[in-house]
Amino acid sequence: MATFRAEVFQNEFLPDGGTDVHAIVTVSAEGVGGAGTAGGGVAEIIMIDTSGSMTGPMLAAAKHAAQVAVDHIPDGTWFAIVSGSHVAQRVFPYPNAPLAIVQMEPAAREEAKRAVSRLPAQGGTAMSTWLRLADQIFATQPAATQRHAILLTDGKNESEPREQLTSTIRAVTGRFQCDARGVGERWQVDELREIATALLGTVELIADPADIARDFRSLLATSMSRGVADAQLRVWTPQGGQVLFVRQVAPTVEDLTARRTEVTPLIGAYPTGAWADESRDYHVAVRVPSKNVGAEQLAARVQVAVAGEVVASGLVKAAWSDDASLTARISPEVAHYTGQAELASVIQEGLAAKAAGDEATATVKLGRAVQLAAETGNDEATSKLRRVVEIDDEERGTVRLKRGASRLDEMALDTASTKTSRVRR
Amino acid sequence: MDGVVSGTVTVCPACGETAGAGARFCESCGAALGAGATGADVTTSAPAEPAPSAPAAVAQGEAVAPAAVEQGEVVEPAAVEQGEAVEHAPVGRPADGAEPSLGACAACGGDVAADGYCTQCGARAPVARDHAEEQPAPHVAGVTDVGMRRRRNEDAMALGVAGDVTVLVVCDGVSSAPDSDVASQAAATAARDVLVAGAAAVGPGDAGGWSRLLVESGHRADDAARDAVDDAVARQDPPSCTFVAAVVSPVLLVAGWLGDSRVYWLPDAGTPEQLTEDDSVAAELMAGGMSRATAERSPDAHAITRWLGADAVETTARTVATRPTGPGWVLACSDGLWNYASAPEVVADLLRDATGRVGPDPAALSRDLVAWAKAAGGHDNVTVALARVTAPVTDPAAPLADTHTDDPGTTPTVRRRPPGSLPEEPDAPAP
Repeated sequence: MATFRAEVFQNEFLPDGGTDVHAIVTVSAEGVGGAGTAGGGVAEIIMIDTSGSMTGPMLAAAKHAAQVAVDHIPDGTWFAIVSGSHVAQRVFPYPNAPLAIVQMEPAAREEAKRAVSRLPAQGGTAMSTWLRLADQIFATQPAATQRHAILLTDGKNESEPREQLTSTIRAVTGRFQCDARGVGERWQVDELREIATALLGTVELIADPADIARDFRSLLATSMSRGVADAQLRVWTPQGGQVLFVRQVAPTVEDLTARRTEVTPLIGAYPTGAWADESRDYHVAVRVPSKNVGAEQLAARVQVAVAGEVVASGLVKAAWSDDASLTARISPEVAHYTGQAELASVIQEGLAAKAAGDEATATVKLGRAVQLAAETGNDEATSKLRRVVEIDDEERGTVRLKRGASRLDEMALDTASTKTSRVRR
Repeated sequence: MDGVVSGTVTVCPACGETAGAGARFCESCGAALGAGATGADVTTSAPAEPAPSAPAAVAQGEAVAPAAVEQGEVVEPAAVEQGEAVEHAPVGRPADGAEPSLGACAACGGDVAADGYCTQCGARAPVARDHAEEQPAPHVAGVTDVGMRRRRNEDAMALGVAGDVTVLVVCDGVSSAPDSDVASQAAATAARDVLVAGAAAVGPGDAGGWSRLLVESGHRADDAARDAVDDAVARQDPPSCTFVAAVVSPVLLVAGWLGDSRVYWLPDAGTPEQLTEDDSVAAELMAGGMSRATAERSPDAHAITRWLGADAVETTARTVATRPTGPGWVLACSDGLWNYASAPEVVADLLRDATGRVGPDPAALSRDLVAWAKAAGGHDNVTVALARVTAPVTDPAAPLADTHTDDPGTTPTVRRRPPGSLPEEPDAPAP
């Protein structure tokens, strides 16, 4: 039996006239159990880039990885394989098969691997077509509510305008979850990040094609460990209050603010996707009308809802005080994740500036990133930053751009920018 | 009550309140106690006057021990039951998961959720403990209130009536020690139950008997405070509280206490008296000759020197007895009231004014005095309990015949009494 817990970390004290309340809410799930694959509630689609650029060892590695993935999809799971170029094609079940998605069993597994082995590489790249086809395939099996996809590409989404991809992502958001993987150094981090963020997945760089198979295996293991198909984060604010933002801050930074759907006029719901036994942190910021010094009120109820039922609840409070020592204190958790969120954005902005040739801005932004990574103890970010900048003074954020930093190192830094270190407790 | 004495005190640069050694923030105003604060060594041992009384109290405690244990065993089950029944744990504390009061929100009329907050406006629904009233009989009542500045009411009261004996108990939780609200309620209830259960065995005029029972009730209250949370002993700041109890019969008033919660005797005619003598630095200064006004403004004035709880050193209540010489009121209160009205004459005037406003009902009077303290600032939690003494049935000049000077275990322990009380009694025996 899955149990959820919501724990709130905040400084509830506001100065006279204060209105903004910040809290970190740690949501943990326990006893979730594995995904209900045998019951036919789980569906998995693997999307492999088969554009012309994949020709050679990259395609061979991708095919191998897809076959490994097929081996790791448990019997009973609905599955399909899509090959993607400037158009998308269903590889398995075969295009002429009556069903768009089938349940895994030994014969299907062997046939799917055979189908993958015959894939040629040709054409351009238009990922919107891949996502649309995946969405259509999932839709043929409405009973499979826990839907997960893996998208692998090696290149830029060059065969269509960016708006086409963006509008498609918007159209399929909430219909399935998708982890995006870029292999090599010619793909665009921001494109895959847009897909993964919207579809509640992760984005990773796979530098060496030989590592794709291992990555797919772990993606499937994670997907199959998710025993709760979908959970919502709900935020109640009092009448007259408003949500400033709702942000997942661990394990990665994802802004959920714009993804609100209304439960009641006072309660908004934010998607969090499927859950395994895990814990995630959310930064909730709300604005409430100021009250008299001495007053206390609830600023937000942060709840977890599964299948429409609230399974955990945390209280975010506001208490007005004329005591500066109480009101000036910043919750260490809020400070930590505020820093981590800023770290993610300065890394991305710094790399974008560098790509645009604006070295001055890049130096300042990446310097700030070095400083924040040190302050918040994000060692992974620090080590990735080190490959892109020379650090003169970590504490003050003085850096120089590294001459000859490799594109792979920059992409690795960019891809990992949203990964946060947990606050030390 | 604001704290307990602990060697070195620091004076808050913002408000002048004193804080214990090692305190980083002022408990009164919350200001940081840093470089600007002035530190001074203050000795906690009682100067000149109160010192002799403390050993006397200890000696008494030892003398009554066997009786105390017996009594405690007799009343224990009742005490436990009562303690659970009246425990009003406040809402909004993450650990205790207390059930809040549900219903309509007082602020906007919306529904109050199970978490204790309004589902519409988010206002915290008042919890029972924020403002509680008791009136076990028409002549006795009490009101406890969170006040204006504190977020939780750590005061507790327990009232009882046994025959023609009335019992008032007030305990004031030490706000710097977490869960002291739980301790204070447990202590007050336990003491009241001991006194009510033991009333039948003590003659209404038996000052020594009541004194013993008050000491016993203090010990049981201390047990209750120590047991209020499971890990009290392990805590650096275990839950703790003051203790004051008054036993009121038509012929005798006896009070026992630890800390700075008080009992006043306010006769309709005659001189009002503060029966108790605070276990506080201010009281020690006054005992040394300082004026009340100066002493109560002095550094550390509010620091108490005795209390109940796992870190209490000395829990034998001091006791004092007096005979009513006419009708009047016995008033027990926490410092939330006497912060604004300390001297007995001032309290007597206050009560007289209140009677003019709301009449002689003790519940109405208690409510009025609490409202007055809140209007005066309400800085701390406020508790007021009143018992009416109708008419004395004995000759006020008669000695307390049933307490003998040759029985050191039966006399009230306070040496320095307000003038007029127990005129025939010699001072407590020397240790």
